[in-house]
Amino acid sequence: MGRLSLRQIPYQNPILVGTFVFALILGAAIVGLVTYHKRWGVLWREWLTTVDHKKIGVMYCLIGLVMLFRGFIDALMIRTQQAIAVGPHSPGYLGALHGYLTPFHAGQIFTAHGLIMVVFAATPLLVGLMNIIVPLQIGARDMAYPYLNALGLWLTAAGAALVMVSLFIGNFAHGGWYGFVPYFELPYSPGVGVDYWLWAFQLSVLGTTLGSINLIATIVKMRAPGMTWMRMPIFTWASLSANLIALTTFPVLMVCLALLASDRYFGTHFYTAGMGGNLMLYNDLFWVWGHPEVYFLILPAFGMMSEIVPTFSEKTLFGYATMVIASFAIGGVSWGVWLHHFFTMAAAPSVNSFYSVTTMLVGIPTGVKVFNWIFTMYRGRVRFELPMMWAVLSLFLLLVGGLTGMMNAFATNDYMWHNGVFVVAHFHLMVLLIAASIFGSVEYWFPKVFGFKLEARWGKAFFWCIVLGTGWVFIPMFLLGFAGMTRRLDYIPYTQWGPYLRVMLVGMGFYILAVAFFFMHLYVSLRDRAKNRVGADAWGTSRSLEWMTHSPVPAYNFAFVPQVHARDEWAWRKEQGVADLKSGPYRDIHMPGNTGVPFVLGALALALAFALTWRIWWLSGLALALCVAVVIVRAFAEDTDTVISAQDVERAERRYHDGEVVPMEEPMGRPTPRPAT
Amino acid sequence: MSVMSRSENARSLGLWDRDHEGHDVIGTRTFGFWLYMLTDAMVYAALFATFGVLSHVVNLAGGPSPAAVVHPVYAYGETVALFVSVLAYGGAMVALKAGNKAALIGALGAAMVAGGVFLGLAYSDIERLFHAGIVPQASGYLSIFFGLILYHALHILVGMVWMLVMIVQVMTRGFTSNVVYRLINLRLFWHFQAVIWVFVFTFVYLQGTVL
Amino acid sequence: MSASHHDPLSHPEVQLASGRGYVANFLVTTLLMGFGLWLSVTHAVAPLTLVAVTSGIAAVAVGVQAYLLLHMNLSEAQIWHTVAMILFLPLFVVTIGLTAWMFHGLYARTMIMSPHIGAFLHR
Ligand code: HEM
Ligand SMILES: [Cu+2]
Repeated sequence: MGRLSLRQIPYQNPILVGTFVFALILGAAIVGLVTYHKRWGVLWREWLTTVDHKKIGVMYCLIGLVMLFRGFIDALMIRTQQAIAVGPHSPGYLGALHGYLTPFHAGQIFTAHGLIMVVFAATPLLVGLMNIIVPLQIGARDMAYPYLNALGLWLTAAGAALVMVSLFIGNFAHGGWYGFVPYFELPYSPGVGVDYWLWAFQLSVLGTTLGSINLIATIVKMRAPGMTWMRMPIFTWASLSANLIALTTFPVLMVCLALLASDRYFGTHFYTAGMGGNLMLYNDLFWVWGHPEVYFLILPAFGMMSEIVPTFSEKTLFGYATMVIASFAIGGVSWGVWLHHFFTMAAAPSVNSFYSVTTMLVGIPTGVKVFNWIFTMYRGRVRFELPMMWAVLSLFLLLVGGLTGMMNAFATNDYMWHNGVFVVAHFHLMVLLIAASIFGSVEYWFPKVFGFKLEARWGKAFFWCIVLGTGWVFIPMFLLGFAGMTRRLDYIPYTQWGPYLRVMLVGMGFYILAVAFFFMHLYVSLRDRAKNRVGADAWGTSRSLEWMTHSPVPAYNFAFVPQVHARDEWAWRKEQGVADLKSGPYRDIHMPGNTGVPFVLGALALALAFALTWRIWWLSGLALALCVAVVIVRAFAEDTDTVISAQDVERAERRYHDGEVVPMEEPMGRPTPRPAT
Repeated sequence: MSVMSRSENARSLGLWDRDHEGHDVIGTRTFGFWLYMLTDAMVYAALFATFGVLSHVVNLAGGPSPAAVVHPVYAYGETVALFVSVLAYGGAMVALKAGNKAALIGALGAAMVAGGVFLGLAYSDIERLFHAGIVPQASGYLSIFFGLILYHALHILVGMVWMLVMIVQVMTRGFTSNVVYRLINLRLFWHFQAVIWVFVFTFVYLQGTVL
Repeated sequence: MSASHHDPLSHPEVQLASGRGYVANFLVTTLLMGFGLWLSVTHAVAPLTLVAVTSGIAAVAVGVQAYLLLHMNLSEAQIWHTVAMILFLPLFVVTIGLTAWMFHGLYARTMIMSPHIGAFLHR
């Protein structure tokens, strides 16, 4: 069994045992509920094997939310530790000298926190939303490669699962989410932690790359007739630019991690300190991906803001063309700034200056966007409903996060506070901006996907707690950054930093409240869903194609593929008074058939990654061979499309018309063998 | 307004594309695959960047220099084998255009054989180096040297397996659109290997002689 | 996603195959690589010239391959392939070029080396 043995179960750590019990209870409850309601069949047929982009998107979002929760717990533990472990006389609990986390455990927590939040929370949430919305916005019935889409989902899920498994079997990396060499090399980190980190990361790289290919091809090839480039909704543009970044940079991360794996598994010398390796090469390759990655995350968020702001200002977006150009300018410039993550490497002054300047250049297109949103609101009929509140919060966070980014961009400044908490505060505001946009667009598009709006009372409480928490946590963090506090400390040597850290803990109290309110928000919305039912155009003032079809969206998206006439097609139809014109009679609709292969491949990938982590060679070989075999067998499978017959479409359309809510998992269509060619 | 006249109305306004044909399956598939090939090219770009960084004299770690490792004449043999294989695959595409099954299978077989020659040559070259104690673990430079050529060789291996699969599919299925798009994807894949090899041959082998 | 009603063999991406183009590509690239080989084994030129000339040869060969093998052109069937490649090209240059540039400076400032040994980045 390689390095795996019973001793690797950390049962001596009360925190982990508690977590394990919690996970066990939760798992048992879920299994029990599914069994009780006899939903296993539905779960398998309508969710795990689905190739429907909406369901896949929903599952992406679920993974993202679960991991967001996990990452939040990590954050809570870090903040608590830093609030307790201040000064030599601070108390120690649970075997720790100071605070309640040993340095090794604390290290695992901040590493897991970073990796989870970036790759397994923000990314799946954004990818999920793009998955759901983009095909609807371009009037397509499915994506270019529905099967690949499912594969991307299950690879991401496997990566997330691997991180979770590391909680209970073995341990996780403990040197920071982006890794350090030679510290992450085998001689210095011989345990499984780094390997867990490595393979979980690598799985998400694969998943995201496949996803980006799918999204780009969908946008390029599947737009409804009449949807010219300059009629494309702005969120679709944002998704395109973001996925171009993913497509071009994720391969570099793959190489970066693969070379580290090679060092660890084969004893090569890519990044080693001696024998002709180069440790800065790791940083170089990592940040070639790492910086564009942050724009991969933020561009969809900008796109979301650009959808929400016009809807709730009851105006068309100001400066559409400049918005598009700015997205691509940001994407382009983001490819030439990566050295700002290691200004202190001792590159030549000319090099540092170059990267300083390019980093600052990003501010120009970003500024254009900010002004566009502001001018969209200017003289609009602004309604501060929940999505709009989140969008405005995003705008504020963008200002503060962007300006502090500018401060980092001066190499001279950065020399002073690199790897300090000022930087941490900077990028957290940026990432919180992304989170805020995500919450805003969940509020915004939820009714489209599920057919009812989320209630507003708890939602507002949730919003304000996030605002308060952000202030209380990050303003002191900026101040500590100026005071010279470095990041990733498990013990704080200076007692004068204590008060700030305790204030930050108060902020965490607001965040805890926020989480509680979020659950209430979901619960109450679900309970009162009958009250909050909506029709196709949930907000009444939306402008793009997705609001033209029913809520929840039928499996086939559009009974007829729309012909597009204007940039804001739905707004145009409403203005022309043709919004409710349908076209009969219905026709058969061909849809891709469900398949369990992606799920199986995801499971095999998880087995492979786990086996590699523990160096269980027979299992690695077996899993890899099975992967190859499954791919080849699948290539021979007789492709089965599904046909939704015209009568079925008509029946469904009638039900929607009568205001009935057609549940998402209701099966539609039946498989037909592909007509012989 | 009656339902019928309303839908007449919608039709005359051209609000819906009633006769939606579905998209061009082959074109969509090959485009996605081409995007994938470009990501693979980016993988190579990162590997070549690594190669550049690890080609400094300090990266030899006192081990053999590139000039002592590379064997350009031998590598030229690999070049010709690969180019022949690529040419043969081109022949397969011409056969496909003509709808000629037998010629297509024959050309695929030829491409596989030439690919096999390439792999055989690569194998004996690596064998020779290993015997001389020139292994990836010996220095940073050798790590990336072997990394590059092995990654390329892996592609050749995968391509050959794929060709085998396609031969079976062509025989059992004939020219369905699924088979056709896969043949085109394999063309992109296979011809792309020749492009990458030009870089490997030039930067690793030819220029290696003067490092 | 219905199967195409047309004969898959009439698809433009099948029809663009050109036996003459493939043969021409084979001849040109094999000869170009052969010329590079000749330069490097005979040591006919100075090292720096060799690097420059072989790089140039590689560029020409790849250009020929892009056109004749990969069919990079602006026809309706191929335009998006071409656009995608053009998008990637500068990024290859950026990845390799900027990396080389920063490590060139780094090595010059941090590595102790003998002035006689030329290396890839230091010629
Ligand atoms: C788009 C949203 C942004 C995100 C998500 C983001 C994220 C990050 C992250 C994660 C880091 C820290 C890397 C680390 O040490 O772990 C970072 C650092 C940095 N950011 Fe940003 N950033 C964003 C925007 C900006 C902008 C607009 C600028 C400047 C114009 C900027 C400039 C910098 C600089 C110079 C650093 C390096 C500081 C150091 O490591 O010492 N960032 N950013
Ligand atoms: Cu950055």
